[in-house]
Formats: sequence, structure tokens, C-alpha cells
Amino acid sequence: MPEKVKTEKVKTSAGRHLSKVVGDAYMDLHAKAAQGAFVVWIAINVPAELFLGFENVVYGVPESHAALNAAKGVGVLQCEKAERLGYSMDLCSYARIDIGSVSDGGKDSPTFGLPKPHLLVSDNNNCSLLVKWFDVHHRRIGVPHFVIDVPFCYEPQKEKDRKYIIQQFKDLIRTIEEMSGQKFDMDKALAAVSNTSEGIRHWKRFLSFAEHQPSGITAFDSFVQMAPFLVARGTSQFVDHYKLLTDETEQRVTEGIFPVPDEKYRLFWDNIAPWHQLRNMSGGLAKFGANIVGATYTLCIGTVEGSFDLFDYDGGDALEYCARTQNCYICPHGMKLRGKSMQTVVEKLNIDGIVFASNRSCKPYSVTQLDQQKLMTDQFGVPSVMIDVDHADARKYSEESTFTRLEALLEQIEAKRAA
Amino acid sequence: MKIDITKKLEQLKKDGRKILGCFPLYPPLELFYAMDLVPVVLWGLRGSVPDTAESDRLLQNYTCSVARHLTEFVLSEDSGLLDGLFMYNACDTLRNLPEIIEKGLEKNGRSLPLIKVHIPMVLPAQTDASAYFKNEIHHLVKELEERFDVSFSKDKFVEAVKKFKHVRNLMVRAENRVTQGRLSFLNFADAIHECWFSTVEEQIRILESLIEGLSGEVEFSTDNNTRHGVILSGILPPPTSVINAIESSGLRVVGNDIASLGRSYACMPEISEDPGAYFLDFYYQHFPCPTLLYTGDRRTTSLFGLMEKTGASGVIFVGEKFCEYEYFEFPHLVQQLKDKGIQTLEIEIAIEDDAQTSAHDSRISAFAELLKSNA
Ligand code: SF4
Ligand code: SF4
Repeated sequence: MPEKVKTEKVKTSAGRHLSKVVGDAYMDLHAKAAQGAFVVWIAINVPAELFLGFENVVYGVPESHAALNAAKGVGVLQCEKAERLGYSMDLCSYARIDIGSVSDGGKDSPTFGLPKPHLLVSDNNNCSLLVKWFDVHHRRIGVPHFVIDVPFCYEPQKEKDRKYIIQQFKDLIRTIEEMSGQKFDMDKALAAVSNTSEGIRHWKRFLSFAEHQPSGITAFDSFVQMAPFLVARGTSQFVDHYKLLTDETEQRVTEGIFPVPDEKYRLFWDNIAPWHQLRNMSGGLAKFGANIVGATYTLCIGTVEGSFDLFDYDGGDALEYCARTQNCYICPHGMKLRGKSMQTVVEKLNIDGIVFASNRSCKPYSVTQLDQQKLMTDQFGVPSVMIDVDHADARKYSEESTFTRLEALLEQIEAKRAA
Repeated sequence: MKIDITKKLEQLKKDGRKILGCFPLYPPLELFYAMDLVPVVLWGLRGSVPDTAESDRLLQNYTCSVARHLTEFVLSEDSGLLDGLFMYNACDTLRNLPEIIEKGLEKNGRSLPLIKVHIPMVLPAQTDASAYFKNEIHHLVKELEERFDVSFSKDKFVEAVKKFKHVRNLMVRAENRVTQGRLSFLNFADAIHECWFSTVEEQIRILESLIEGLSGEVEFSTDNNTRHGVILSGILPPPTSVINAIESSGLRVVGNDIASLGRSYACMPEISEDPGAYFLDFYYQHFPCPTLLYTGDRRTTSLFGLMEKTGASGVIFVGEKFCEYEYFEFPHLVQQLKDKGIQTLEIEIAIEDDAQTSAHDSRISAFAELLKSNA
């Protein structure tokens, strides 16, 4: 451990800027919607850059809004509203939060919900059930629902599938043109893709500070810092934010300021962020000198399936690039590809142990984890543990049993070191 | 379910047939049949595996019982009954199973050819996926030819299509007998279940004998008119004990919106010698199912149509625990039915219900009372 080690608890400039980016984005969304903008609700993976190709189309992301509700402590409250409407507790908690929030016009939401949409655009690459979730709004709100169908990848994405996705993007553009009366401008979309791409380059550099020992970041920082991907993609603020975040992180590393300065255990996280536990979990782990330095959830952004390396935009066809990256998130590709990228990054980050967060709310992320765990532990010798955590429904989480298991993981790591 | 699936598959093997195990829900059966393969749809396996010990090591315990039984069946069946597996993108769980099963087989020193196809889930009014789809079917034909040393012929395909059309018609006729109270739902469901593991010729025999009354006795001819009819809706028919509880509560199952039953046989595509065109029609005209994402808007209409056709007074939703597709639609359907004064009951079937389903009895009785008092 370097001698010049300091910690700092104050909010960073990037932290303050993040609050501003997110706050401004939601305010802007509501304001523009009130002034007559065409409002689209989209699934997380729908390329938001396409909407920036229009003069006056704004978008909201229900999954991101749900995560924000969970992080601000109202996830359970919103889930319960959906459950009272008859939605099963076994359904994805993002969906329940969102349905609950919409049911009373966003009453308890930190952003007053999302403005009423003119169009819903879902896709089935992360999960098909998201289409069912958007169908709920389609029926309750009575607006059209456009479905983007992205074939699952067992192997790297095939060209025939990419062409099929591009065809759907074009149909989506045409649909919005027809519905909104606005003309799509490809140059604007291209500029948006360029901005996203530049922001992603900064993002990747930010994540690379996890390679430093002790790590310059925690996965918890990176979870929180994902928000601009959901509210500001394609904009210059997006680029500015990630540049600020990365430069500031670099500065802190140079100055020897680390989130867990006495880092003894470098851990890796597999699943969606536990939004309701970010503070407790990072604080609890830090007490043991443990830091979750990386996560599949954040590393997959800006990549393609099977690798966490940056897949850079070459300035060419924007639709082609958007289509090529449609399977990059973890859920839209299979176990072999997931294993490949995880194995590489675990080596690169010098990971001591892996936390597989089994998440009943997100079967697509979790269903292969038992095999994944065997692969990483039995085949590659990386100690691991499986904990139960719902990403947004705090009722399905027990801090006590989680920490018992996490401590067991640290013991496994110690035993391996001693061997 | 009374049939011994393993025995049925053993017989098919003895007869020299190649068996293709198909993941649910709606595989292109006619094509496989035309190419000298016997497709068997791997659902309703609850009674065919002693437990889920093997699959529990591979699948999280919040995976539906259909996936867990399927995995168990394929992994524990080590006598080479299946010659291959086929799957399409039916749901989030099923799309992850091929690799899990592959790994499980590998661990036991086995392997099976696994064929995957992507069925477009776009809304036809938004995106014309016909070229993509036809290409998928074209590749499927080629892959089958290469993997199983079989060949495609238009004549054989048309012949298979005609036979399956006949089978579906027979299934509809049998269902009509259930509606009329001349055949018990239990016997009907058992017969269809047996069909999923039989050659098409055998299916015709099973169904014809059922319809002609050789194996399907009239269950409650005396008080049919006093029993309230209900429709069952879900992925699979509920366990026998639940069906018995429904029938002994004074209700009568008169129709179904069940994936392994009515949703599978209700669609009768036009006969065509082109598998691409035929299956495009098959999938796009399919009876609505939550897993066929583009059929969502037709769901309520189809359910109302079923109510009208059968004269049912209530709907029992049979939820397959952890099947989110079904569960997302229940509240909307329940509300729509309620608005029309139609009573509904939701029961949930979990994997643990293999042993005890009596928990549902009192709710079913209460529902029967409600229907009576509303009459
Ligand atoms: S199931 Fe998982 S991938 Fe799907 S919406 Fe929920 S959290 Fe997202
Ligand atoms: S029951 Fe539902 S979740 Fe299970 S395999 Fe069938 S469609 Fe998928």
C-alpha cells in the first residue's frame, strides 16, 4: 500500500455535477413535455441518440426512474402500490416500482414521475418481460407501443441480426416522424452518437482506475455515475460530465486519495447494482478492507458481447454502430460470452473474489450464475460467493445473511492466500 | 398425468425414429416431421422426473417449474432417447437454457445437437420481418439436413402440414366435447399431453379414439346443466388434484386458454409448400399468448371469444410460479373480465405443488359458491 494514502468523504466535484446533470435532465424533460415536445418512454437499451435526431423529441427511461426511486428509498413504497393493483411480488422490482409510480401520477417519485408519453419503445434484448411491462402502460395510458426485437447472442452478433435491428431502427424513426410530424435529421443523430462515444471513452478511462492498487474507485461509485447514460446520452453535458469525473478521479489517484485506502480484498460484482444498499454495503465492506472494484453491470457499457474492451465508434454509420452494440449489456448474451469477458477482467483487475448477486427480480441476469460461479471458482480458482439481493426491492434483502456470506468469502480468500 | 413419457420415447426409438426434443412453447412441428424427425415438446414433465435434484444444481430456485423439469428430464435421461434439441426465443429463461443444458450434459460426458432459431417478435404493423423470418427457416432446414442426415421435400412438407391440420381439428373437436360436457377435461388434457410425445399418426389415433368415446367416458352427464362452466387460463393445465377440486366443487371446465392445449392447436395456417410462408402465417396468426409478444393486443378479445363460445361464467387463471409473462397480464385481464361482470380466480402452481395442492381447495370452493350466488 502506498504511504501517501488519504481518504476523503466530501462530495467530489463530479458528485455535485452528477446531481446537477440528473436534476437538470428531469427538469428539462418535464419542461419540454409541458411545452409540447413529443415524449417517448424507452427501455434502457434503446439508442437514445436517435431521438436527438429530432427537433423536439424527449425521452424518459422507466428503468432508470425506478432505480432512482430505489436509491432514494421509495422503491418499496412504489412496489406496494403495484402489488395492490394485482402485480405479483415475483415480478421485476423495476417494473413494480414504475407501475406503482405511474398509478398515482408519480406522487412519491423524487422526480415527480415521468411526463405522459406519446409513444412507448421497448426492446427485448435485456429481457422480453420488459415488453410485457411496457404493454401494461400501453393499455393503461392508451398510447402506441413500438417493440424492438433483438436476437439473443450465443456467439458474437451475426450480420443478419444486425441488419434486422437496423431495419427496426429505421421503422422506429419513420414511426416517430409520422406521429410527431417532425423530420429526422441523421446529422444530428450522428453528432449525438459521437458525443456518446466520446463520453464512453472517458467512462472507460474512469473504470480503468480500478486497476490501480488500491483501487481509485469502487463499483458503488460507478453504479451511481451511470445515471447520465440514462438521462443525457448524446449530449455535450454527457461528455463534459465523464471528462470531469475521469480527470478528477485521476487527480485523486495521483494525490493518493482512495476510497478504501487499506484495501486488502479486491472484489468483483456480478448483477445489477443493489440500489437500496449502496452506502451500507460499501461502508460495511470497507470496514474489512474490502472493496468491490469492478462490476459486469458497469463494465459492459460501450463494449460488444464477450469483451469489456471499448468498442469505439469509427465515425461511420450511426445506425450500424447502435445496432452493433445492442447485445453489449450482460442479459442479451449467453453464458460463454459472459464467462469470457468476466475471466479476462478478473485477471486484469487482479480480483481476489467474486460476489454473485443472485437477483430474483432479474432472472435474465441471474439464471446462469450457478454455472458462472462454477466456471470462475472451479476452473479459474477465484473464490466466490452467492448472495441474495433484489436490486430495487429492499424487502427481499437481509443484511445479516449477506454479510455472513461476504465474510465467508473473505475467509476463503485468506485461506487461498495461506495455502 | 398418466402417460409414461420415457416408455413412449423408448418405443419410438425401437421403431427406429429420430427424436427431437423441443423446448416449449410453439416449435415448428410440421417441418421436423416432414424431415423424418419426431418432435416431442418438452413440457408437462412434472410426473416424468422423480425430482429436480440435477437441475437444482444448475438453475436458480426462482426459475419456473417448466424450465426445471425440462432441464432435469434432458440431463437425467442418459439412455440416448433424444437425438437433438430445438429451441426458439420463447422466453428469457428458455433462451438461457441451451448453454446450461449443454454444460450439464458435458459434465456427464454427453452432448446433443442443439438447434436454435430466432422467431421475430416485432409487431407486423411496425416492421416487416418476413424476409428475416424466412431466412431463419431456410437456415433451419439446412441445419437439420446437415445434422441429422435428412432431406427436405415440398411434398413431404405438405403431407405433414395436412396431417397436423387434421390433428389440430381433432383437438378442437375434442375440446368441443369438453364444452358440451361429454368429455372430462382431465381425460382431454391427458390425451393432448400424450400427443406431445407421439408421432402424428399416433396422435390421430389417440384423438379419434377419444372423440369416438373409446377412452373418454361421459363424466358428469347427470348434472351438467347445473354446473357453472369455467375457463382455465395459463401455461399448463393444473395438476390433477386441482382439476379434481374444480370438478368436485360443482364447477365444470368448459374451455381453455392454456399454452400446452388450446393456444397450441387453435391456429390453422393455410396449407403451403413453402415452410417460410407457412410458419410466418403460423406465428403471426397464432392464438394469443403472452410469450408471443406481438399478440398482446389480441389477448382480451380472444378470451372474450372463448367465454362466448363456451358459455363459461368464470375464468380461473393458473399461474405458473415465476412465469412473468403470464403474471404481467393477469391484472389487466382480470379487470377487463370484471368490467363485464365475469368472475375470476387466480391460483398459483409452484414446483412444490408436486406434493400438495390442497391449499387451493378452499379457494376453489369459495369461487364455486360465488359463481352460484351470482347466477
Ligand atoms: S428483469 Fe432484469 S433486465 Fe428485465 S427489466 Fe427487470 S432488471 Fe431489467
Ligand atoms: S412457464 Fe413461462 S417462464 Fe417458464 S418456460 Fe414457460 S414461458 Fe418461460
